[in-house]
Parts: sequence; C-alpha cells; structure tokens
Amino acid sequence: MRRWIRLCLPVGLCAVATAITLSAAAGKITFTDTKLKNGLRVIISEDHSAPVYSIAVTYNVGSRDERKGRTGFAHLFEHMMFKGSEQVGPGEHFTLVFNNGGNMNGTTNQERTLYFETLPSNQLDLGLFLEADRMWSLEITKENLDNQRNAVQEERRLGVDNQPYGKTFEAIDELAYENFAYEHSVIGSLEDLNAASIDDVKSFFKTYYAPNNAVLTIVGDVKAAECLEKVRKYFERIPSQPAPAAMDFNEPPQKAEKRHTLTDTLARLPRIDIVWHTPPALAPDDDALTVLAAILGSGRSSRFYENLVRQQTLTSGVSASSTGNRGPGLFRVGATALPGKAIADLEKGIYAEIEKMKTGTIEAWELEKARNNWKRNMAANLGSSLQRAISLGRYALFWNDPNLINTYADRIVAVKPADIQRVAKQYFVETNRTVVITMPKSAAGDSETGGRQ
Amino acid sequence: MTTRRFIFTIAAIGVATAGLVSARQAAPPQPSSKAVVMKGRAPVSTELLKIKLPRPAEADLPNGLHVMVLEDRRVPQVTFQLLIPGAGGYYDPADMSGVASVTAAMMREGTPSLSTLQISEKLESLASAVTVGTGTASIDATLSGSSLTENFDATFGLAADVLMNPTFPDAELTRYKERTRAGLIQQRTNPGFLASEMFSRVVYGNHPASRISITAPVLDKLARTMLVDLHRDRYVPDNAVLAIAGDISMSEARKVIDAKLAAWKKRGTAAPMVEDPPAIGPGKIYFVARPNSVQTNFIVGTQGINRTAPDYDIVSVMNQVLGGGPTGRLFIILREEKGYTYGAYSNFSATRFRGNWSASTEVRTDVTEPAFRDLMIQIARMRDEAVPEKEFQDKKRGMVASFALSLESPQAVLQNHITRWLYKLPADYWDRYPERVAAVTQAQVQEAARKYLSLGRLQIIAVGDPKIGDTLKQFGTVETYDTEGKIVGK
Repeated sequence: MRRWIRLCLPVGLCAVATAITLSAAAGKITFTDTKLKNGLRVIISEDHSAPVYSIAVTYNVGSRDERKGRTGFAHLFEHMMFKGSEQVGPGEHFTLVFNNGGNMNGTTNQERTLYFETLPSNQLDLGLFLEADRMWSLEITKENLDNQRNAVQEERRLGVDNQPYGKTFEAIDELAYENFAYEHSVIGSLEDLNAASIDDVKSFFKTYYAPNNAVLTIVGDVKAAECLEKVRKYFERIPSQPAPAAMDFNEPPQKAEKRHTLTDTLARLPRIDIVWHTPPALAPDDDALTVLAAILGSGRSSRFYENLVRQQTLTSGVSASSTGNRGPGLFRVGATALPGKAIADLEKGIYAEIEKMKTGTIEAWELEKARNNWKRNMAANLGSSLQRAISLGRYALFWNDPNLINTYADRIVAVKPADIQRVAKQYFVETNRTVVITMPKSAAGDSETGGRQ
Repeated sequence: MTTRRFIFTIAAIGVATAGLVSARQAAPPQPSSKAVVMKGRAPVSTELLKIKLPRPAEADLPNGLHVMVLEDRRVPQVTFQLLIPGAGGYYDPADMSGVASVTAAMMREGTPSLSTLQISEKLESLASAVTVGTGTASIDATLSGSSLTENFDATFGLAADVLMNPTFPDAELTRYKERTRAGLIQQRTNPGFLASEMFSRVVYGNHPASRISITAPVLDKLARTMLVDLHRDRYVPDNAVLAIAGDISMSEARKVIDAKLAAWKKRGTAAPMVEDPPAIGPGKIYFVARPNSVQTNFIVGTQGINRTAPDYDIVSVMNQVLGGGPTGRLFIILREEKGYTYGAYSNFSATRFRGNWSASTEVRTDVTEPAFRDLMIQIARMRDEAVPEKEFQDKKRGMVASFALSLESPQAVLQNHITRWLYKLPADYWDRYPERVAAVTQAQVQEAARKYLSLGRLQIIAVGDPKIGDTLKQFGTVETYDTEGKIVGK
C-alpha cells in the first residue's frame, strides 16, 4: 500500500510528490545507538510509514533523587522546563509545537523525567532545537516558579486531595518503604512545594539536566545519518557535568507484616490495597512475577475476576501488577468491596488465590495469554513512533540495553509454571506484605452505609 | 505513579447567566498574556505538509451492512468496529434509561455454545479483545475488537457469536446488577461526574441526551426479557457499518465476514430517527454542594450545533482559540498566567442531534470567584473582539498541520471515514478539510461566538465546598443541589 504526501509551500505551490512505501512486514525494530562527546546517548529509529517523527528525552532523575523537605521537586522542575530558556520564551515551547501541528508533554515518576514531542517530519529542526535549548540553559524567574508551584498544587488537589482514595495511594508507599527515596510520593507535599526556591531550581538543573545524564531518542520519518548530524549541531555544545552523587536506594528486608487503616471523607466504599516487596523490574525473578500478575489480574479470564468478582461477588474488580521500577519493586493488588461485603472476606479471598499460585496447577492457556499480551505490546511499539521512542529511551537508560525492545518478549515466553510457583512461595509471604485499608467516613463523622470492616 | 503535565481528555460539558455582566465589568479584558513570550528564534519550517488521507475500500452487503477496510500492513494486527444505529441508549424509554447499555454489556456473558468464562478465556489467551457497548444517550451500539493478524479469523468468529447469539444468562445479570450498583455509589464521589450529570440535565432537559448514567430504580426493574427483546429488535444489519483497519485486505476480510455473518439477515428496519433537544431556558447557576471539596469544578456551556451544520468548521476554530488544548486562551490565562488550576479547556460535541459546547476547569476553593470571573471574561472576549490575525492564523495552521499525526494510526484515519459515512458527508470531505479551515474568517468566528456563546444562553455548573454557594450568589440566581442530585435550595 502506498501513501502520497505532498509538500506544499505556503504560497500554494504544490509540486513535490514523494511516494512512501510502507515496510512490507513488521518485524525487528532497528536503530542506531551513538554517544556524543559530551556523553549524550542518541538512539535513532527510522520509520517512513507516516510523515511524522517523535522525540523522547529521558533524564536520569526522578522523585527518588529528592531530599527530605523538597518532595515533589523533580516534578515541579519538569514544569519549569516549559517556562523559558536562552532562545525560547516562557510558554513558547508548547506554543510552537501545537501551532505547527504537533503534540507534546512531560511526565515524572520515581526514576526518570521524560519530555516528548511528536511533530510533522518537516519540523525536525524545531523539535531538536527546543529540546537542546532547554538542556543548555534555563531562564527562570521567581514569578514563573510561583505560577507553576500553583499549577502543581492544583494538580495535587485534582488528583489526590479532592478524590476518593487519593491519600490511600500515598499511604501505601509510605508504609511499605523504609528508604526515603521510594517512600514519598512523586507529587510531593504542599508544604515542601511551598519551600522550593529559585536556588533549588538552579542547582537541580546543573546536577541532573546534563547531556551525560540523559538519553535522546528520535523515531519516525527521519534519515538516521542526517538526523544525527542535526543532533550534533544542536546538542554537542552542551557541556557534560560531573555525575550526580550516588544515592542509596536499597530497601532493608521487611521482617513483619505492616498494616494500617485510614478513613476517607470522600470515599463511600471500603477499599483494600496490599503490596509485597519484590526485586526490580527485569531482575531474574521479575519475568515470572509479570506472568503471575497477568494470570491473577489481567482481564475477565483472570483468577481474581472469575473467583472474586464473578463467583463470589465480593468486589467489582481486583487489580494486580508487578513492578516497573528499576529500584526496589512492589507487587501491588487493590480492590474495592461491593456494598455490604466485608473487607475481611475480600482480603481472605485475595490470599486464597495467591496460595493457589504456590502449589496449584497453572494452565497452558494462562501462560499463552501472558505471552500473547507481550506480542501485542511489541506490535504497539511498531505502530506508534512515540511509544517506540519512549520504550527505547527507557530500556537504554534503565538497563543500558535498547534492544530489549526486541528481546523482552522472549523472556516472557521462557517462563515456566515452576518459576511462577517458586516466586509465589518466595515473595507472597505474610512478613513481606503491607496492607492498607481505607474506610469511608461521612462529613458528620459516622461511618457510612455500604461497607463493613 | 506517573504525573502528567496536561490532561487533554476533559469531558465535554458546560454553561452562564444574567449576573455575569458584572463579571465582565469588574475586570476589563486583557488583549494578551505575559504568560507566553515568543522570542521567535526557533527554526520553524514554513512549509505545510499537505496530507491526503488514505481511503478505505468500501462495499455494501446484501443484508444492508456497509463495510470499510483500510489496509495497512505496518503492524501485524487487525482492529474492527461495528456500529449499529438504533441499538443505543438514545432509544430507551424515558423510565428505563440504561436498558440498552446493560444489553450491550451483557452480550459477552454467554452464547449457546460458550459460557462467559469460556468467551473470556478464548479471547484473552489470544490477546484479542471484543467488547460491546453503548452510552445512555448514544444513537449507536458499538461492537469493537482487535487481534493479532493470525488470530483475526477466530476473534471475528467469537465476535459474530456474541453479536447474533447472546443468551443473557439470568445468573450473570444478577451479578452484573450487583457490580453496577457499586459503580453507581462510586461515581457520586467523583466531582467531575457530578458536574457532568448536572450539565447534561440542565442543557438537555427531558431529551435522551440528558441521561449520563443508569439509575438504581432502573436496575431494580430490569429483567432478562427486556434484554432479549431489545437485542432481537435493534441489533439488525440494515443500517450498520463495519469498519476494519490493519493487516488485511477487503477480499481477505470479506471471506471472513461472509462466512461468520451469513446468518445476520436483513430485517427491513428503517434508519432510526433522532430529534433535536428542546430550546434551552435562560442561563442560571446550578451549584452542587459537595462537602470536603478542596476545589471547585466549573462547567459553563450550552446547546451547540449538529454535525452537519454549515458552521461546523467555524465553531471548531472558535473552540480551538478559546479552549483547545494548552495554547487555548483558557489554559494560558487561568493556568499559565494566574495559576488557578491545573487545566482549563473548552470542548464541543456535535452529532445527528444538536450537541453542546462547554468550558471547564477545576480551581482551588479560595480562588473560586476570581477564576470564575476570568473564565467568563475569556468567553466574552470571543463575542466582543475579533481574534488578532497572528493568533488566528497560528491556530488554524495547528489544526491543519496536526492532521499529519493521525496518519500514524490506521484506526484514527478510519474513524474519520466512519464520521463521513455516518453523517453522509461528501466523499472528498477530509481531502478538503485544510481548505475549509483556511477559509474561516475572524468575522465568522466572532459571529459564531455571539450566536452560540451569548450570555443569556450560558448555563453555569459549579461543584464544590458548601461554603462557595454564597460566593456564587453575586453572579445570579443559584439553585443548590446535594451530591445525590436533589435540590436543596433556591
């Protein structure tokens, strides 16, 4: 199949016609992988199926790098990256991207801060220039900082303080982790956000927003060699910086179950969240835990859905997920009780399914399901330049292996029932778990109808 | 946890009133914002990629089904979407709103040969998906699915079984009701839901579009026979469209369709009719008092236009200028300049009946009053001033240029063609999109703003802490409701 794309000059001269042939068969994703003199790792993957390209810049900094008294800073800083640099005015970055037909955003989690754009392919210089300029310099005023501090505090109110169970999700990590790095939330506290200063912004920028602390990924309708030359032009002048001081992300082994009940004036049904400490993502045991999560919680054929939702009608849904962290992980399970159902029965039901994973049979179709899920995830990497750029950047930054985009699914295929039983026995033990129960509380102070503990 | 800088998927809703004139007088409109400074040094290509959307192959089957196939071999997967006009919640009786959505959801719960669990196991072990759904105000029901190419035959076979032979087991219906009741309780904890619910009620009156959720009394009355009847009468091929995108050709698709849907016969059912909602009353303020709120959710809006209205493109440009994404005036002023909110956007929906236009934002409680004034000022500016030339051209260029991004997704391209088919738009409708947008003038946009965003038509919804009720009174007549939707004060 062919697509015809015409490049039109603004005066209306439509003359150049380019035929783009789609790659016949989807298969292995190819890319180039280059390190610039200043330490910036550049990964480029060509795909000419649409006149579009995506950039992802993955910085090796997240909320786990924050110190006490400055929670939420990595994310607040992410907002400042849109407020102006040497050649780009406040707000000009996103204005230029959207006015030229593109899309963009930034996002922060515990372990990385990611910036990305998707643009029509004739705007390659624009995207590279914008990302390079704000890696080179930031021009931040107190006024801009106060403005984004407000926006971030509203983000917190919108997502946490004004939502049922918003505080529950913070409470789980606070209770489960001992190490401050992972214990506190990405969004941070309102008090700490208020304390952030211009000096904090400057030193954070210098320490973490260095070319040797980032991966730049470009995917789409570009020519790799030409694109790399442009990257050199825009990025190579940015000086490298001393590597940030190493932090201790280790989590001490848990010795006994931790348990906490909190009340929530915005919630109306009780909820239970249970987490177990696990190794980081892509550690040897993580593959079996990932398959196990699919068997327990993925879709209506999952054991949680069939037994706890459909058969026992204790809950309307149970989530289960293995970790995505490169640092100490948590396997997470969460469920809300149906009206009139006891949270204790729900908890027992969850444990009963987990016990079956330790000794019971694992069906062939359950393994097949996990494998096919990953096959489809791989297919999605083929279809979206942005998703591919983000995946390549993450694999490169976290595990120094962008080719995991091609090989990861093989690891899932290799998981055997005995592996699943072994990791279930090893990690799903009482002393390794943290339980947070959320009980609704009406404004008047009395417990509402609808749930029993 | 992942924290996103912008939220683009804000539900469409909206509204305003007589006292708002004073808001306009209180603070004069500002022509531009210091929140965005253009240094103009970035290298921008002035060329505009001219895009021609690929067209699907199309065919009409003897049973009335229209088939579209957009072949795209890039990714080894196939997605499909079957739209059945007349099977949506729009056609539910007023006292049984939600029957159609329950019918759709229950279709996957069993066929003569497969139990609900067997259906899920078969689909999910292939990493395939099949879902049936409809909204309480939708004209159509939609069966959609996807699979790896190698599993398309099996997946479509299951979809056909679900489509033609659902058994609606009583035991599963009982379970479904119990789960749904919990959902009805949960949704009332969400301020966004409460705002949307009130907005739909206010803007659409008794029209079917006023419904956004099934209710507990309907769940109580619901019986299996109602689902069986609805499915028999409304799930007919006569007016339906099946759109397939991905790693498949029309001839390959036809082999599968002809085999699996052979028993889906024409029924002689006429195309379903729709009516516009009744004209809307004068603007008023509707306040939902939600204890313990730390933000106020605003929706300001009114009835809008039909999808086939001649000024559809003009309204699109108007909406883009005012509140389309992070470069819209609402975002720039309310967030980037004032820091009242994490996001402020406007939105409009247009369908076969008159849709709605709305602006929405969530602001911390103590800035409820100034944020509301600024919101209304920005709406007033659309009526009172022509959009400056540079801003206007920038917005239109962005709308046209962003079309290139949709070429990455065959589903997105096909969605445009489904729209074209549903609304009987000309065959070259999307090819001419850039020139239609380019032709829109500032005068047309201002005229549209005066026509659709006039102060007297705007309805205002606020959800927040009970104490902001007094704040709102200075802007006009306030009707106050509790979180159950019951009126508690005027």
